[in-house]
Amino acid sequence: MATPRSRANHRLYILGGLLLLWLCVICLRLVYLQIFRYGDFQQRADHQQQRSINVSAKRGIIFDRQGNELAMSIMVDSAFAVPSEVPDLPNAISLITRITGEDARFVLADCRAHKTFCWVARKANAETIERIRALNLQGIHFQKESKRFYPKRELAAQVLGYVGTDDGGLSGIERGYDEQLRGQPGRMQISVDARKKWFARIEKEPEAGDNLVLTIDEKIQYIAERELEQAIKDTHAIAGTVIVENPRTGEILALANRPTFNPNIKKQIKNEALKNRAVSDVYEPGSTFKLVTISGALEERITRPEEVFDCQMGSIVINGMRIRDSKPHGLLTVSDVLAESSDVGAIKIALRLGEDRFYKYIRAFGFGQQTGIELPGETRGLTKPVNRWSKVSIGAISMGQEIGVSPIQLAAMVSTFANDGVWEAPRIVATTTPPSIIPQTFVFRPEHERRVISAITAAQMRQMMRGVVLHGTGRKAVLEGYTAAGKTGTAQKVDPATGGYSRTKYVGSFAGFAPINNPAVTVAVILDSAVGLHQGGQVAAPVFQRVTQQVLEYLHVPHDMQLPPNRQVWLAQNKVKDSDLDESSPDHLGSSLEVADVGPLDSAPRVAAVPQQAPKPSAAQGGVVPAALRAKETAPQAPSAVSLPANITDPAKSASNETVVLDVEQGGIEVPSFIGKSVRNALELAEDSGLELNLVGSGIAREQSPAPGSHVTSGSRVVVKFGR
Amino acid sequence: MSRYVSYRDFDWLLIIFVLMLCGLGVMEIRSATVHTKFAGAHIKQLYWIGGGLMGMFLISLLNYQALLDKVHWMYIAAIASLMSVMVFGQKYLGARRWIKMPGGQHFQPSEWVKLILILAVAKYFADLHHRELSWSDFIKAGAMVGVPMLMVLAQPDLGTALTYIPIAIMGLFLGGVRAKQALAVLLLAGLIMPLAWHKLKPYQKDRLISFMEPEADKQGSGYQVIQSKIAVGSGGIWGGTGTQTHLSYLPVPQTDFIFAAFAEEHGFVGALGVLLLYFIVLMRLTQNAQTAPDRAGTFVVMGVVAVLSFHILVNVGMVVGFMPVTGIPLPLMSYGGSSVLFMFLALGMVMNVRMRRFVN
Repeated sequence: MATPRSRANHRLYILGGLLLLWLCVICLRLVYLQIFRYGDFQQRADHQQQRSINVSAKRGIIFDRQGNELAMSIMVDSAFAVPSEVPDLPNAISLITRITGEDARFVLADCRAHKTFCWVARKANAETIERIRALNLQGIHFQKESKRFYPKRELAAQVLGYVGTDDGGLSGIERGYDEQLRGQPGRMQISVDARKKWFARIEKEPEAGDNLVLTIDEKIQYIAERELEQAIKDTHAIAGTVIVENPRTGEILALANRPTFNPNIKKQIKNEALKNRAVSDVYEPGSTFKLVTISGALEERITRPEEVFDCQMGSIVINGMRIRDSKPHGLLTVSDVLAESSDVGAIKIALRLGEDRFYKYIRAFGFGQQTGIELPGETRGLTKPVNRWSKVSIGAISMGQEIGVSPIQLAAMVSTFANDGVWEAPRIVATTTPPSIIPQTFVFRPEHERRVISAITAAQMRQMMRGVVLHGTGRKAVLEGYTAAGKTGTAQKVDPATGGYSRTKYVGSFAGFAPINNPAVTVAVILDSAVGLHQGGQVAAPVFQRVTQQVLEYLHVPHDMQLPPNRQVWLAQNKVKDSDLDESSPDHLGSSLEVADVGPLDSAPRVAAVPQQAPKPSAAQGGVVPAALRAKETAPQAPSAVSLPANITDPAKSASNETVVLDVEQGGIEVPSFIGKSVRNALELAEDSGLELNLVGSGIAREQSPAPGSHVTSGSRVVVKFGR
Repeated sequence: MSRYVSYRDFDWLLIIFVLMLCGLGVMEIRSATVHTKFAGAHIKQLYWIGGGLMGMFLISLLNYQALLDKVHWMYIAAIASLMSVMVFGQKYLGARRWIKMPGGQHFQPSEWVKLILILAVAKYFADLHHRELSWSDFIKAGAMVGVPMLMVLAQPDLGTALTYIPIAIMGLFLGGVRAKQALAVLLLAGLIMPLAWHKLKPYQKDRLISFMEPEADKQGSGYQVIQSKIAVGSGGIWGGTGTQTHLSYLPVPQTDFIFAAFAEEHGFVGALGVLLLYFIVLMRLTQNAQTAPDRAGTFVVMGVVAVLSFHILVNVGMVVGFMPVTGIPLPLMSYGGSSVLFMFLALGMVMNVRMRRFVN
């Protein structure tokens, strides 16, 4: 009995051993599958089961300093496909792309790559979405997304920049402050089960981005844009820049560039228009740079404004090289060297200053370094250290050649004189606030400032710069009721073909401030390659005059000069022939203008006293604001800013000399009908009527409140609902 | 031949391990079906387990030696029931496997035929006291298993039919099969293989092909193998959320692929734990076979071990991609009344043998 039994036992052990072996093999297999290839399989599982997509957060609003929205986000529909649910994918995609106009191949490739989710029409207008909805395709779904919208269109386009389809900032403030504006995107997880049923789950709610307040004032920006536009039309310049700055704080109140673009229509944006010339353009400043030369010499007390220099009839030899002035001058005081923009005079002053001290002032005025303005792509300009100067460099630089500056550097330099000799870094971002808070006021504290010249030197410079406007090359910059100071500049452009100076292309500029005793604004105007008249005093000074005049009135800066009835200012200005305004023009009209200079005056009563028949300048010379103030005087109960929008927009609308005086007492303005208009047309109409719009949705206007025909005060908000 | 029988001799340790496996199974069934139309299956499974336990106690009361004496009647009854399936069986999903009972339950005779085969094989080999098997013994034993197997194959139910083979093999192995005879079986199997290939249904061929080349047809026949491997692999060491299971990528996660679902949710650690539990159960059973009072008892217990280990081997092998998809459930864990009942009745026989291990 023992043998079979023990054999059976023996065989049982064999069986046990085999089972153990099998267990080990399975274990090794599990180790392989679950440990070594875990990542692989995890990925395969995720790939077939889910796709998580970003839900873009609501991008922060960009406000101007008054709380007007310059860039905002609105909710629009996007369409997406769950490809695994779509029975005939190529057909469905081709139907949709026929509506959206996109390339069917790209969309199809994207949808093939992702079985669980792909966008087919992003942030489309209501009509497109409605047509896609009408197709009633299986597996096509819709999702609300936020879309960037610039209600003021081209206004401050280069400052704001624009965003891509994914709401990422691509230029301007949108790019520079992308991180703050963007917020935290949320995540949506789309799971698909084996039966192709899908369900979405918000994994993380998006967090809205911070709001941003710019130092820009929408109204001032509008003035700058409009006058620059007009100047480009008049002079046929290929590009231009206008900067309006508060010289006390460095706040940029307006920054306009041409050519420009509408950030709402991404497809039409050209690179040339995207460029923010104010910060990224380097140009030779020409005569405006004489301000640095002369102020440096005054500060070093090596000359006085009254000292007389022999301008040697327009020719000078420095270090063996002869430099010729464009116009011959005889004996000129330092003041007149600036006013007449004598090159020889500037060179003589620079030679007396010496290379090292001159270079010190160039740097101190902020050239050759970024100003630190919060805009992307700022240039440092081009300055050479002294050891790389040639023998004639000091002469060339003293009159603004052999040096490259940006318009913003120019504005900051001129502001230094207005700010009693303290250089202030220009700033354009006032503050950022959390999304829930709509900013009301902000306190501005200068952060980067340095004294360049003494207050006394600055005061001397202001008087000398006033001379430029009164009897020098900048006579077209004379303001009505305000004193003004500035400096013209005309620089030949470097011809890329020859490497030498072009004989036909000039950059004309004017930079100045007003009023001179307590400057409220600095305005810099640069026009590139004007056709025909091209001198700074001929093309840029009138732009300065129109912008500054309107901005000062808008800011309610008290007049410091008597306004015409005495029409001499206007007559004098109109009599000036452009040929008289060439840089270094010897003759001047100073005496006739002295009459107007009766010092600061209390403006308000005098403004009110202006007879209604007072001659108005042509539209090209700018919407004159006394009408606004008159409206204010007659209707004191109206809010102070009431008539401004209408008044500002009016001259742009037509070239007529009419001034719209709003009849506030008779119940305000009539609300026009926005029904049936596109967003763009509605905004235009609103701007023309002096109303603010609250836009809801996109497409065609459906409803509005208040109703058409009702009377509201100017600047009131009208809610317009768009849809289809 | 009076014997002292007491529940003190019941293998309580074995029961504990078996119930642990059942518990894990119920948990996993719940998790796998909670959001599907099978929701609540784990409750039914609990009823089956309860019923199975009762059946186990009942069967352990009968003397297995008395049962063995009547095994030829039982064998005839088994053949008859298989024939009745062929005649009256409910056709479902292209196969005739079930008989509708008056209570509305569906009864699958091929499961309890397994039980009778274990007894029949045990009786047959226990009665042979030869040292070595003769060729006629060999053929008789083969026929005894082969006839019901062919009948089940005709249903068709390849998976269940295959589970009969280990019963025969175990009997032959312990009964003292000679190397020559084993070789002959292998040769015969080699000859039958190509013939069998032609007899296979197209889906069965696909399963075999996809076992060899699962990536060849990912959405088709290779789908189950791939999804099972993805489920196991994505479990990692500690397990995950079980998305493969919950999003229904894993086919029948509560029955045939329950081990994949478990491995996905509890990772390598969980899967290893389950395998160890099975190993303990099998070793404990083998120990019971050694302590059996007679040769027939050993054969009965080892028959159960054979069927159990075959199920585990094929099922787990299938889940990890070692074996083709055959539709063999994982014993004790997979959802299904017939499977659960069979396992507990089989364990009842083991208990039956164990309780009578002390020969007076």
